[in-house]
Amino acid sequence: MRTGAAAGHTGYFHEALYYADEEELLAVVVPFLRGGVAEGEPTVLAFGDEHATLVRSALPAADAGRVLFHPGGDMYARPASAIRSYRKMLAEYTAAGAGQIRIIGELPPIALGATWDWWARYESAINTAYDEFPLWSMCAYDTTTTPPAVLEDVARTHPRSAAPGELHLPSTPYLEPPVFLSRQRPGDPDPLQLTEPILSQVDPDPAAVRAALTNLNRAPAGPVLDEVGLADLLMAATEVLVNAQLHGVSPVRLHCWVGEDRIVVVVTDQGKGPTDPFAGLQPAAHAPVGGLGLWLAHQTCDHVALYRDDGQFTVRLISGNPHHRVAEQNRISAAEPA
Amino acid sequence: MSGVVDDVRRLGRFDHVCWAFDDADTFRAQAVTFLAQGLADGQRVWFVGDPDPRVVDALPAASEGAFEVVTTSSTYSSGVEVDADSQVRTYARSTEQALADGFTGLRVATDATPLVRTRGQLEAFTRYEHQVDRYMAGSPFSAMCGYDRGVLGGDAVAELACMHPNANDDATPFRLHAATLPGCAAAIGGELDILTEDLLVKALRRADLRPDPQGELVLDATALTFLDHNRLLQLVGHAEGLGARLVLRTDQPIPRRLVQLMDLPAVRIEAAR
Repeated sequence: MRTGAAAGHTGYFHEALYYADEEELLAVVVPFLRGGVAEGEPTVLAFGDEHATLVRSALPAADAGRVLFHPGGDMYARPASAIRSYRKMLAEYTAAGAGQIRIIGELPPIALGATWDWWARYESAINTAYDEFPLWSMCAYDTTTTPPAVLEDVARTHPRSAAPGELHLPSTPYLEPPVFLSRQRPGDPDPLQLTEPILSQVDPDPAAVRAALTNLNRAPAGPVLDEVGLADLLMAATEVLVNAQLHGVSPVRLHCWVGEDRIVVVVTDQGKGPTDPFAGLQPAAHAPVGGLGLWLAHQTCDHVALYRDDGQFTVRLISGNPHHRVAEQNRISAAEPA
Repeated sequence: MSGVVDDVRRLGRFDHVCWAFDDADTFRAQAVTFLAQGLADGQRVWFVGDPDPRVVDALPAASEGAFEVVTTSSTYSSGVEVDADSQVRTYARSTEQALADGFTGLRVATDATPLVRTRGQLEAFTRYEHQVDRYMAGSPFSAMCGYDRGVLGGDAVAELACMHPNANDDATPFRLHAATLPGCAAAIGGELDILTEDLLVKALRRADLRPDPQGELVLDATALTFLDHNRLLQLVGHAEGLGARLVLRTDQPIPRRLVQLMDLPAVRIEAAR
């Protein structure tokens, strides 16, 4: 049975929670969690350490003991992994007889920077991906630190928002997932892409690309990626390249850049890309026979971006540290005189 | 040992290497090196083929009975498809004779190109290559099988090369061969991706792998440096076709990661050591 604001709702009840200070945050989080505990519903909090501690201290001890505190950082490493983990968790709760599951989460601040685009796709895709479960969840966003463009995406991907005083308001800019996910998002180049690629190949043999990437990873100062990181990139690059060669339109071009802390691989073909707007975030409907490649790349890379422009379809893979903008801003502000 | 070989001097008493060549001179030079190494290791060595002076004269002086040129027709039945069982028995007897005569084993180098001219011969010979490899894995018999790419074509040579534990250069992207790890039905090494799909289908069929009594098809995958998810599913499907569950014995990160990500109950990864 559904309770609270989601009473009478079927499927996923997905809300954004905008807050400007701790008081506003707690004014929504505490009643949400206490309500779940009171109804005997599985009640999960997936916040970073700071906010988890804050919420724990604001809850009566008896309630805090019945809330599952889930480390948000682990959950939110990659969107496709988060969907996989959450779906597994939701399936287990539902199988155990839960009438409703409550989850409140927050993305780590770093996810709102250079990698936001795949989290925006996540926020949209989960409206469908979790809709088979009786889930009521809230995603918390700090309006004082979240970039305005990110907040616009949050409004387009959450059908409603929660506010203090048990208010639940529809989000006017909300777009259905197939619409949001099919929009042409402008490419946001990694700064490395503004330099000459270190490797450029046309219609390459995947084995030759793997050999080249393995070589490029051997930087004089030590490998850019560790053994597992390189293995993950080789898997993803092969899958994306083979997808382009099998399903795309020739010529297929591969470019690669190697930075101090990351390797960027860009594969472009002259086709339109996958027709499935959820491609990569969930295994395609016909998986495991086909449709898994892009999903695997989303699980193994530290960022995957899909672009359609100039009659081309582009997949960009980043293995290593994808948070270039944040890192560069930090460097710039560190260099500025106080 | 198994892997990509660029120098046959590193091979030992049990090794089986495929040498794909584009010109016969390079094959002869490698055959001389391979056989000379056998002589130095106290093996009886055979060059199977015509008594080519470029091989015979290039070898160091050998003791009585240590070196012999054996014509292809006296070793293999020409013009017909090889009878794998009887051919393995022939080499087994010759290996035992070499041991009885005081040698450390038998070593053979041959240009096997004339034996695989037809599709039927090729099919039979690829099966034979795997069977003789099983014998070699446990007996002091080593062989170097030369195949002329100019005559047979690269694809046919790859079909032969992939049934060897060792192959030169780019003769084959992967190798399916007899396992030396106990409990394994076979060993698979190299790289498996979409370009190896058809070759893998043929190699698996020809190797005729048998699951163990526990219903598991255990493959030594310690040298399997890459496989994509479809090739993992292909191996799983092959095992299932044999009524078995696939087990990959490996410490390589990629097979381990794929199995973990795909959440496949039909396959298990075991540490190699």
